[in-house]
Amino acid sequence: MIRRSLAVVLTIFALAAAVTPALGVTSQEIYRETRCPTCNTPLDISNSPAALDIKEFIAVRVAKGQSEDQILDALVAEFGREVLATPPKSGFDLVAWIVPILLVVVGLGAIPFVTRAWARRRAGDAPAPQISPEDAALLEDELRKHPG
Amino acid sequence: MVEADDSGSDRRRLIGLIAGGVAAVLIIALLVVGLAASGGSTAIDDALVSGQRPPAPDITLPVLVSGPGLPPAGQRVSLSSLKGTPVVLNLWASWCGPCRDEAPIFETAWERYRGKGALVLGLDLQDLSGNALAFLRENSITYPSLRDGSDASKRDLEATGVPETYIIDKRGRIALHITGQVTELRQLTVPLDQVLAEK
Repeated sequence: MIRRSLAVVLTIFALAAAVTPALGVTSQEIYRETRCPTCNTPLDISNSPAALDIKEFIAVRVAKGQSEDQILDALVAEFGREVLATPPKSGFDLVAWIVPILLVVVGLGAIPFVTRAWARRRAGDAPAPQISPEDAALLEDELRKHPG
Repeated sequence: MVEADDSGSDRRRLIGLIAGGVAAVLIIALLVVGLAASGGSTAIDDALVSGQRPPAPDITLPVLVSGPGLPPAGQRVSLSSLKGTPVVLNLWASWCGPCRDEAPIFETAWERYRGKGALVLGLDLQDLSGNALAFLRENSITYPSLRDGSDASKRDLEATGVPETYIIDKRGRIALHITGQVTELRQLTVPLDQVLAEK
């Protein structure tokens, strides 16, 4: 098992070294786009046995000159869409991108209304004290009895 | 005029409360759905501990390697279609060391029980199909296997990982759940003899 894992790691490094980044997609870029199916973390930070197998799968295809889309399609065929670290920007998955932006826009748009409502409520919180004429007369009397 | 302002303000407040309430309910519903989808249920094990046999989830998966009573490789089969046959369902993956260690025990069980009407059935999980087929060749495995690249069936079976094994009786109910590696043939033969003897 250890020998096999070591062989996989060495293959990944050898294949990664053989590809010049300037020529096209790198394995590392696709690792970041992919999720380890057993630990649910991005592939580039996972070293689980399943992740090592998938890294080798990617590195072999990058070395063959396949495009990012081709490699991601092959991974989806193997593991389903859950293997993608980010949902695709099309179809129903677009909801995952739109909803957070929409929430932020709605939140920012609500700020003026909420602050205006708060300000109005605070102004209305302390109404001027009302005093009846009788009470006012009593108060005047008391003040007169106790000057200073 | 003041009354009109007040009633307008009350209406706005009511609309705000309703909108806020709806948003809160939606967020809570999303959280509940998310938690439910993330698994963590132990209903199968709970039922087994209390002496019941819960029905096996009706998972439908493509065949990786075919065998008796199964369609050809690549076609889909559901667990419910295997009712009437006791099934030893073993969850495995090519990258899993304990799965490699226990595979010969399942092969021995298959050789011993295939003539008695039981089916030893592998379920390759979260694995590359090429690596899975290589694993079967390298370990001289002859019992059939299904394949699930995702973890949907693992969730449905409430499995925590690989290897795990389920003994499913003739009525499609889970009779035993073994978590982790099977280390002795008896762990399979004793429950298999029991479910085979049942009507």
